[in-house]
Amino acid sequence: MSFVSVEHLQKSYSGTPVFSDINCNIAKGEFVTLLGPSGCGKSTLLRCIAGLTPVDAGKILLDGQDIVPVSPQKRGIGMVFQSYALFPNMTVEQNVAFGLRMQKVKADDSHKRVAEALQLVELNDFAKRYPHQLSGGQCQRVALARSLVTRPRLLLLDEPLSALDARIRKHLREQIRTIQRELGLTTIFVTHDQEEALVMSDRIFLMNKGHIVQSGNAQTLYAAPADAFAAGFIGNYNLLDAQTASRLLQRPVSSRIAIRPETLGLSVQGEPDGVILSHSLLGNVIRYRVEVRGVQLIVDVLNRAPGDLYPDGQRVALSIDSSTLCEVA
Amino acid sequence: MSRAESTSASLYHRSVVWLLFLILLLPLLGTFIYSIASSWSATVLPSGFTFKWYDQLWSDPRFLKAFGQSLLVCVAALVLSVVLILPLLFVVHYHFPKLDALMNILILLPFAVPPVVSSVGLLQLYGSGPLQMVGTPWILIGCYFTVALPFMYRAITNNLQAINLRDLMDAAQLLGASTWQAAFLVVLPNLRKGLMVALLLSFSFLFGEFVFANILVGTRYETLQVFLNNMRNSSGHFTSALVISYFLFVLVLTWVATFLNKDKSQ
Amino acid sequence: MSRGKWLALLCLVPFAVLFIVFQIAPLVWVLIHSVQSEETGWGLANFIKIFNSKFYLQAIQHSLEISFWSSLFGIVIAILGSYSLRKVDSRLRNFVNAFANMTSNFSGVPLAFAFIILLGFNGSITIMLKQAGIIEDFNLYSKTGLIILYTYFQIPLGVLLLYPAFDALREDWRESASLLGANSWQFWRFIGLPVLTPALLGTFVILLANALGAYATVYALTTGNFNVLPIRIAAMVSGDISLDPNMASALAVILVGLMTLVTLVHQWLLKRSYHVAR
Repeated sequence: MSFVSVEHLQKSYSGTPVFSDINCNIAKGEFVTLLGPSGCGKSTLLRCIAGLTPVDAGKILLDGQDIVPVSPQKRGIGMVFQSYALFPNMTVEQNVAFGLRMQKVKADDSHKRVAEALQLVELNDFAKRYPHQLSGGQCQRVALARSLVTRPRLLLLDEPLSALDARIRKHLREQIRTIQRELGLTTIFVTHDQEEALVMSDRIFLMNKGHIVQSGNAQTLYAAPADAFAAGFIGNYNLLDAQTASRLLQRPVSSRIAIRPETLGLSVQGEPDGVILSHSLLGNVIRYRVEVRGVQLIVDVLNRAPGDLYPDGQRVALSIDSSTLCEVA
Repeated sequence: MSRAESTSASLYHRSVVWLLFLILLLPLLGTFIYSIASSWSATVLPSGFTFKWYDQLWSDPRFLKAFGQSLLVCVAALVLSVVLILPLLFVVHYHFPKLDALMNILILLPFAVPPVVSSVGLLQLYGSGPLQMVGTPWILIGCYFTVALPFMYRAITNNLQAINLRDLMDAAQLLGASTWQAAFLVVLPNLRKGLMVALLLSFSFLFGEFVFANILVGTRYETLQVFLNNMRNSSGHFTSALVISYFLFVLVLTWVATFLNKDKSQ
Repeated sequence: MSRGKWLALLCLVPFAVLFIVFQIAPLVWVLIHSVQSEETGWGLANFIKIFNSKFYLQAIQHSLEISFWSSLFGIVIAILGSYSLRKVDSRLRNFVNAFANMTSNFSGVPLAFAFIILLGFNGSITIMLKQAGIIEDFNLYSKTGLIILYTYFQIPLGVLLLYPAFDALREDWRESASLLGANSWQFWRFIGLPVLTPALLGTFVILLANALGAYATVYALTTGNFNVLPIRIAAMVSGDISLDPNMASALAVILVGLMTLVTLVHQWLLKRSYHVAR
């Protein structure tokens, strides 16, 4: 039984369709991610679910009830924005209390719940500060507390980490995930960052040009991309057309092939069939550009010991594990 | 750059700035000295000093009346523009962002059409007939509304853009606020300071408006500027005291505005 | 359209009404009546009369001359002033900046009176210069006098508009230019001036418009006896003799035409300056 289901959702802006038939189901307590490049419609879908953007046709069921005709105020949905959207005229405490104030929750009850919410994001000491006195990461945590305090049925996160720097981003994504698990809160997260999506989600909906291209857990998306777009967007797949693939594999191939760089192996033993063009060191991984039978490939090799590094121009033998090859549409 | 060069450059810049200051100060200083001189004619310096001109000015009922009427017209025009422009801006930026382009053309009109041109039409249209307003403060209030419009619109737009209106409104609505609650509890408080600054500065230039006041209303509802012009044949010391009093009043207003503005940026 | 949007549109109605009554309607009246005349009815008679009258042509010429020269002097002083303002310590800078801000409201009637005190027939500066033998006589109520007076009220406006433009010249441009081997002159020739040009021209255009439409200062100084466009227009609708609203409209259309040209040029320059900023 799904908790959120989107059925045949349609939306266009002045004649240009953003998406024409979106369908998806989300279970209670699930953390799903809408992943895709900018302009793929993921943010519009999120705003439609929030009720901030009216839909043209279709249904959005939340806990069995169609919420399309319900105003955003009454949907019971919390949302965190990329820009934080904290009210600059209010303190942290007042910001968090705003939703409760709208629900006319009594002062002492409200006070307690605000304190709890701030405790959750570890910002109790900042209650009296104004947003402009906080760092970006702190602002986003306040925004999170503000959207949680009203106990929403569904939490929407619209690229909440994109405006933050790398270290804070990593920390905050763990914190968000922990809080989400603790509260068992159904959450939809929007991002264009594949790493973020893979690390955080129970399930990922990969979107492109207004369609959900593929859905599944991180492992499915990573190991079995459904099409060329998915292969190109997730991981650093070597994407070969049928003709090139036939040349590389020395057998006839009828479709496009995606090969993950870390499934390829290089060795100096055996009959060399390729040559190293260049390399770059990515910390624990060495990334080589190799040419084999006129085909250029990216090969990732674990960086175990200093002696592992092959010099450019070195002739090498390439090994391919045919079980990891993906045929893509 | 050598040390000697940089000191001479800095000396040059300092002198230019001081010279600029002096040029701007000179007419004011001259008027001020004239306003406290007991008599000053056909000599470089006055013969003695006195405050009697200020005494005379501030006990002149016609002056006090003109001052009050100026205040009233300007305040009324600004109240009107706030009441009309705020909802306008809100609607334009939140509901119809495309209208902003049209508004940007409309607010050029008060620039491209000088008051003297508008006056020609206004005198003929509202001199008689159903909308007879010439000679009353009403026509001034309406005209001052158009004079303040471009400045107010720009100033508030800048403020709105700085606060990310759409996200704030969306966030407030998801937290359960109605459009009205969101506008009054979230947007308006964040515009307050910017609005104050815009109002003070608008007030200071409306207070000095002469063209509309003189052509459309004249002595029938005398404002400060018209009074000043009508006093041209009285003692120059008296008019100087008037000019200085006017300028000090505007100075205080602009000073408060600058102060508020600085406070805001911190 | 949703109910909320209709309500929102309703909020615009009072604004629209007021704007039409006090801004659009008078302008339309002027446009219509400029092509009407008491004697010949509809037609360009008014304009033909203007362009055949030495008196009206003189008003246009005076307006253009005074505006051009006062804008030119004003902007030169403003350029020198605001560039130096950036180079002095912040206390002096803030003080003079704030002062310029305040004096930008010192125009119109009070300014005319102040100038009479300083530069009138018996003004103290006139007398001082006469005693020093520098000038024989000075007539503030002449074209030269008006250009000086206009220049004065152009300066603070020019500083106000130009100062931020100079701020846009970033110090690291100068540094990287000098690392690339450009001397100070070359910096100005290839980077500084090209970047500032739209702002400079834009400011000049605003000053021009400001001077073209100015009425209060010259009216207060000469009680309407100096022949410039705004004075002519006002005289034909509110003077004691020879009222001719249609003729006033035709002159007003010429003035608005000049101002519109100037405003359009300014908008175009503004777009270009954004282009440079990005």
